[in-house]
Amino acid sequence: MAGDFADIFEIKFDIGDKAGSHYTEVRPHELCLGYRRDTYRREVVVSASEPVEVDPHGLRFAVRIRPGEQWSTRLQAALRALRPDGVDLRSALRVQRPDDSTLPASVQAWVAAAPTLDTESVALQQVYNRSLVDLAALRFAPLSLGGATVPAAGLPWFMTLFGRDSLLTCLQTLPVTPSLTPPTLRILGSLQGARTDDVLEEDPGRILHELRYGESAAFEEQPHSPYYGTVDASPLFVVLLDEYERWSGDTALVMELEQEARAALAWIDQYADLTSTGYIWYERRNRPTGLDNQCWKDSWDSISYADGRLPGFPRATCETQGYAYDAKLRGARLARTVWDDPDFADRLEREAAALYDRFNRDFWLEDRGYYALALDHDGTPVDSLSSNIGHLLWSGIVPPDRAARVVEHLMGPALFSGWGVRTFAEGQRRYNPLGYHNGTVWPFDNSFIAWGLRRYGFYGEAARIAEGILSAATYFQGRLPEAFGGFDRETTRYPVRYPTAGSPQAWSSGACMLLIRTMLGINPHEDHLVVAPALPSTFGRVALLDIPGRWGKADAFARYRTDQSEEQLAANSGKSEQNSFLEGVIIETGFVGEPLTRQGSSSAHLGQS
Amino acid sequence: MTATSAFFERLAVACQDPRFSKVCGSVRFDIGGGDHLEQWLLIIDHGHMRVTRSPDPATTVIRVSAQVADAMARGEVNGLAAITRGEIMVDGDLGLALRIGRLFPRTPDPPAPNGSETGRS
Repeated sequence: MAGDFADIFEIKFDIGDKAGSHYTEVRPHELCLGYRRDTYRREVVVSASEPVEVDPHGLRFAVRIRPGEQWSTRLQAALRALRPDGVDLRSALRVQRPDDSTLPASVQAWVAAAPTLDTESVALQQVYNRSLVDLAALRFAPLSLGGATVPAAGLPWFMTLFGRDSLLTCLQTLPVTPSLTPPTLRILGSLQGARTDDVLEEDPGRILHELRYGESAAFEEQPHSPYYGTVDASPLFVVLLDEYERWSGDTALVMELEQEARAALAWIDQYADLTSTGYIWYERRNRPTGLDNQCWKDSWDSISYADGRLPGFPRATCETQGYAYDAKLRGARLARTVWDDPDFADRLEREAAALYDRFNRDFWLEDRGYYALALDHDGTPVDSLSSNIGHLLWSGIVPPDRAARVVEHLMGPALFSGWGVRTFAEGQRRYNPLGYHNGTVWPFDNSFIAWGLRRYGFYGEAARIAEGILSAATYFQGRLPEAFGGFDRETTRYPVRYPTAGSPQAWSSGACMLLIRTMLGINPHEDHLVVAPALPSTFGRVALLDIPGRWGKADAFARYRTDQSEEQLAANSGKSEQNSFLEGVIIETGFVGEPLTRQGSSSAHLGQS
Repeated sequence: MTATSAFFERLAVACQDPRFSKVCGSVRFDIGGGDHLEQWLLIIDHGHMRVTRSPDPATTVIRVSAQVADAMARGEVNGLAAITRGEIMVDGDLGLALRIGRLFPRTPDPPAPNGSETGRS
């Protein structure tokens, strides 16, 4: 028995030499494996439920088993993060954490508190149940949150707080596990950037990217204490705060986090516009250990021209501008309805309208019929075809008369694999079906694309993505991994594993929830839950019961109909005062420039209204 | 006067910070030890701050050596990293301690080049 106490980054970068020293202590009934470096100390204490002899190399059991008898023991490995005074750093949390024996009951309670999915689809039931349990497993209690839990990004690489991952997971899971959202917003608010720091890439108002407590962060060999190198977490912070209020009606939280939300909005204009052109740009200030790409596709080669060239810095990726647009509009709504600041709301709406025009002028590639992946440092559009354009639909920055052309690309053979939309289109020079951000299919990415397709009225296309991703889950026992291969569905017949994909991964578990939301077409509208379902043929009948929100609890029912392109069956019987929506549904609440769109049960594109 | 004393004297004069307009709590800094224990008590009430040399109880207690306290006052310490490596010991509300950490200046050294990148893949 031994412990190497490797930091996750030592594993990732294959660094063998440790700066500190290891020690072993033999105790009467347990073996203590330890590691010390100055005041930094970590231990693993191994013990057993049966009588044991301990020596420096391990535990020995003297067992005599007669024919037919059985013998077993339970080994326990307890991790300790010790301060110089011998107190565990996490002792304050430990007090509030239930005993390990209560874990099964706590997971059962978590599942019981979530809405019930009622469907005859075994596959859908499996992925829903698995995702719920995995979201419970990924709950993570940051040291400074007094025991409240937030979604950690995923196992094994990202078992910690990531701004982007946690925010997007909360957005995906609002209809199912809304309790994740307030602690996530609170911790990200409390660790919001306050100063300028080029190692951490911190600015006032910036929402963090990644927080670590390991050795490499403790000794500042990696910048994760915390690292702020992301440009999307700040706008997404505001997007989540608004979306959460729409579902929950919790204006108290919007008041509590007013200062933080305003600072995040101010960051967009004051710190992210590196070229004074009205966009969010990024260029790392931490040259040795910072991230090249500070968007969700944050590997070094994820942003390239169609011919494979890498653009210079700074870079402005398209989806981030969509998030900024959405954040300004949502911030305006909060300013007007909760913060009682109509002037600020007006200003944000004017800025959003200007961003909308500017973006549609500078990013749109008229000859290709899609948006550039990014702008190069000199403003040249980076012309590759990527999944990022799907997020633009979600954010609402695409003019209705351009949406159909964007959708054609998303669902065309270069991007759509049959399982989902690839991160990067076939035919681009750097396309690789097993490239981390250059051709794999990401379930989370697809869930937001599907949400965007719904927003613009492309119900059938959204349902096709839901069918593809949720069907892929059956090949992973219901547990959608971080990413899988971009190979064509017709060719391989099964989704090809990405070798080092995180699994479970919070936003992949969340993808299931958002895809169900998308298929059911559930949306808060004032104090109602609107239901406007459009199922793929694979899932004949889907009901989600006891959806929590400002309406109390409500149910959503859907069944597939062969004539559903003409007629949607939508009904909503609730424990609150819900009317049937057969006479008409509201598919999205209105934003600036887009009056509330009402439509009958026959489907029509939002964009055409 | 040490950098630490100068820092707390400045704080006592400033007496408010709008960033803490929604924060209430008390934090005591126990600096050094034994015969050289220096205690500063910081009470925050909706952005108003009162700073005194006092051994009175506080909801959160931060223990550091005199050297680390001076380094903090000079802006050389990343608080969260120092807590993680055991140089700063916090008892009580760590969230409040981290917020209070924003009062300290920050002028970090340029990062040491070691070539590795923090990519997600």
